[in-house]
Amino acid sequence: MENPTFYYDNKIVKSFAYATLFWGVIGMLVGLYAALQFIWPGLTFNIPYTTFGRIRPIHTNAVIFAFVGNGMFTGIYYSLQRLTKARMFNDVLSKVHFWGWQLIIVLAALSFAFGITTGKEYAELEWPIDILVALIWVVFGWNMLGTIIKRRTQHIYVAIWFYIATFVTVAILHIVNSIAIPVSLFKSYPIYAGVQDALVQWWYGHNAVAFFLTTPYLGLMYYFLPKAANRPVYSYKLSIIHFWALIFLYIWAGPHHLLYSSLPNWAQSLGVVFSIMLIAPSWGGMVNGLLTLRGAWDKVREDPVLKFMVVAVTAYGMSTFEGPMMSLKSVNAISHFTDWTVGHAHIGALGWNGFLTFGMLYWLIPVLFNTKIYSKKLANTHFWLGTLGIIMYAVPLYWGAITQALMWKEFTPEGMLRYPNFLETVTQIIPMYATRAIGGGLYITGVLFGVVNIIKTVKTGKFVGDEAASAPALVKAGGKAAGESTHRWLERKPVLFMILAVVVILIGGLIEIVPMYLIRSNIPTISSVGPYTPLELHGRDIYVREGCYTCHSQMIRPFRSETERYGEYSKAGEFVYDHPFQWGSKRNGPDLAREGVVTGRQYKPNSWHYQHMLNPQALNVQSIMPSFKWLISNKLDISTTARKVKVMQFLGVPYPEGYDKIANQDLIKQATEISENLKASGIQCDPDKEIIAVIAYLQRLGTDITRTGPAVSFPLSSNK
Amino acid sequence: MDLNENRPVEKDELTGDKIISGHEYDNIKELDNRLPGWWIGLFVITIIFAVIYVFRYHIMHSAPLQENEYRNEMIAAAEKYKNTTTSATVDTATLIRLSDEASLATGKEVFTKNCVVCHLAGGQGIVGPNLTDEYWIHGCTFKDIHNTITVGVPEKGMISWKAQLNPLQIQQVASYVMSLKGTNPPNPKAPQGVKCE
Repeated sequence: MENPTFYYDNKIVKSFAYATLFWGVIGMLVGLYAALQFIWPGLTFNIPYTTFGRIRPIHTNAVIFAFVGNGMFTGIYYSLQRLTKARMFNDVLSKVHFWGWQLIIVLAALSFAFGITTGKEYAELEWPIDILVALIWVVFGWNMLGTIIKRRTQHIYVAIWFYIATFVTVAILHIVNSIAIPVSLFKSYPIYAGVQDALVQWWYGHNAVAFFLTTPYLGLMYYFLPKAANRPVYSYKLSIIHFWALIFLYIWAGPHHLLYSSLPNWAQSLGVVFSIMLIAPSWGGMVNGLLTLRGAWDKVREDPVLKFMVVAVTAYGMSTFEGPMMSLKSVNAISHFTDWTVGHAHIGALGWNGFLTFGMLYWLIPVLFNTKIYSKKLANTHFWLGTLGIIMYAVPLYWGAITQALMWKEFTPEGMLRYPNFLETVTQIIPMYATRAIGGGLYITGVLFGVVNIIKTVKTGKFVGDEAASAPALVKAGGKAAGESTHRWLERKPVLFMILAVVVILIGGLIEIVPMYLIRSNIPTISSVGPYTPLELHGRDIYVREGCYTCHSQMIRPFRSETERYGEYSKAGEFVYDHPFQWGSKRNGPDLAREGVVTGRQYKPNSWHYQHMLNPQALNVQSIMPSFKWLISNKLDISTTARKVKVMQFLGVPYPEGYDKIANQDLIKQATEISENLKASGIQCDPDKEIIAVIAYLQRLGTDITRTGPAVSFPLSSNK
Repeated sequence: MDLNENRPVEKDELTGDKIISGHEYDNIKELDNRLPGWWIGLFVITIIFAVIYVFRYHIMHSAPLQENEYRNEMIAAAEKYKNTTTSATVDTATLIRLSDEASLATGKEVFTKNCVVCHLAGGQGIVGPNLTDEYWIHGCTFKDIHNTITVGVPEKGMISWKAQLNPLQIQQVASYVMSLKGTNPPNPKAPQGVKCE
């Protein structure tokens, strides 16, 4: 009997490949633009849409979800069809997935530029786009699972295990972390607050790295590396062990982003130990990749595809060792809040994801177009520029990070901070930022060469949209055969495999997150901590809108060097009304957790904040903060106050019954006080301006635990 | 059931490793290699580390959790710096204005690092008052100025500097501030306070 003929859908692969390159270039250029702002803060041109706080999410989301996302789909749509000997389940689903994903990217970029953000890193999208992401992700999963189910092969290959784990875990992470109550079409408050929000966010954030940047790319590695090298995979047994160990252990490690924070110690310790236990499972992937090349190292010297892949896998090995090391508390005490984290992330993004993507594309594009790469020499140039770029990007940041961290922690012989002025520690490392920007520039130059090379390759080739193939139909093998290992049997049961993967990834998350809600002692309450006033709430929302958290933390760690600089270290009970939490992860400027404490080291009067937002360089010539002068002219929209108060009440914030109706009276009262205070300092600013709300919020920060007596009560008394 | 499972053992020609029969996916084969010993060793060591870590911090309590670690650090610092003179313990009555060039130069350095953010580089004032004119809000003698810097006027935004500057630095910067009088920097802030001397 002749085998039936069917056709692989190469058109969808091509679309995703082009999108990968397109968004890759855009995402990286935005990154370069952000890097240059560290050297020339004036590059924002004093307009809202270009400030670091808004373009940083554009950069991170573009690189993660647009570049790597499309790269992942390119590889999955190509390899899945070959590995299952089947065309994609449904062409319409493929198209909906492709265009839906591109639409999400465009909406994301626009919304971030306009300040529409949830303020949660790598999950900044507001609720309508979040829903769209969930829908399109389900379309992807449906299409993938449909293809797997109608496959013509008996077993599913290790690459597909990773694809399945990616699909289910990202779906769960995205949905759980994004649950929020809408205030309007463009604004919502997450249901979690403070410590709980932080834990859920970093459970998500860390596992976005794990299941969006790692597992799908390990799947791609398991397909494209053996294909490109024409070598068998080193060890099937290692694949099994490292796959299950990786997905089980990864999910626990999120709290390592919150070491020395107000997160309870037990959760921090779980983050530490599970990160350390992740080294071997992560390296399992690297070992299986590199040892697959045994006997073929001569090819690596010749073939740019393999060169890219070898550096990618090596970068993966480096960053999965570095990550656990940064999860040790003694290292984290230095590395956290510095550029070390940024350097680490870029070893992963530029090295692992970037190079694996380009390695894959240099192999795939000639295959799709039935030709050879246009210029091997150009591809090699791309490779070397990229490698040099990664080194010049990361090394200066490590150097600068350690320099800055040591400056933050240095004391004089009298026991005082050697560098009490935060800015001094920034100015010191500006040359490092300049070198970093050059490194990034080199990397992008390489990418542009790559794009040219690929365009030329495409022009010389002949594309076949529907590639004919044939394979015998699948005859179900039935129950477990004698001598068949359990895992081998499981590889014939993709749905069961998926269910098992869900169980394995849920364990860690449930054990960490559930007790944080159920056990009250995890977040000891502080009686003097009260809800924000309506004006402060608006100010906080503007703080989120402008992405202040991308440069300023609100988390004073329990170190003498931090309490001497910023004041009393942060307590879990201080954040119970923070929807979302704004602890931040990087200090390009000082921590603001105690900004409002009048007797504190960081205190600044209202007039200072006004002048500083208007023109930071007028006060600090060397400051790298951009101007936020539109806050001074923008009128505060108080039509949303009632709705905001009601949503907060729904989330358990104890405003009195009916307060939403009178909240604006309190708002106007407080705004007038600040306006008058500014007037006394010679500044004319009407109470209805956004800056007034921001000042109110900044002056509230960190003050509640220094209050004597009970928490602020509503409506506000007039003798504030 | 795989049709190929009973075929003779196939070996990889380059490495001689056993190829697992029946494992072929779009021409990708898999080798029957065992897990590398060092890899298993590494995994076991990290698991032992994890157990010991949790045991020490949460069961034996033989390593300090962060709150205790902080307390220990503060106790150690208090002990280390107990004999150090700080601005808080200096007797202001014995302080005098410095006029030597080296002291004023250091005073200027302290001023540039810490004070210009409110008083601007020339001392002409913006958020804080003009320090170059004849008008003073909290007194114009050396002792007054020294005191204002040391204890601050927090409700007006002038923080206390005694925790960030040592006694000599405060003396130097106060002396430098006094030397600014009459320097006429550009765009001075309007006079505040009362005319002095």
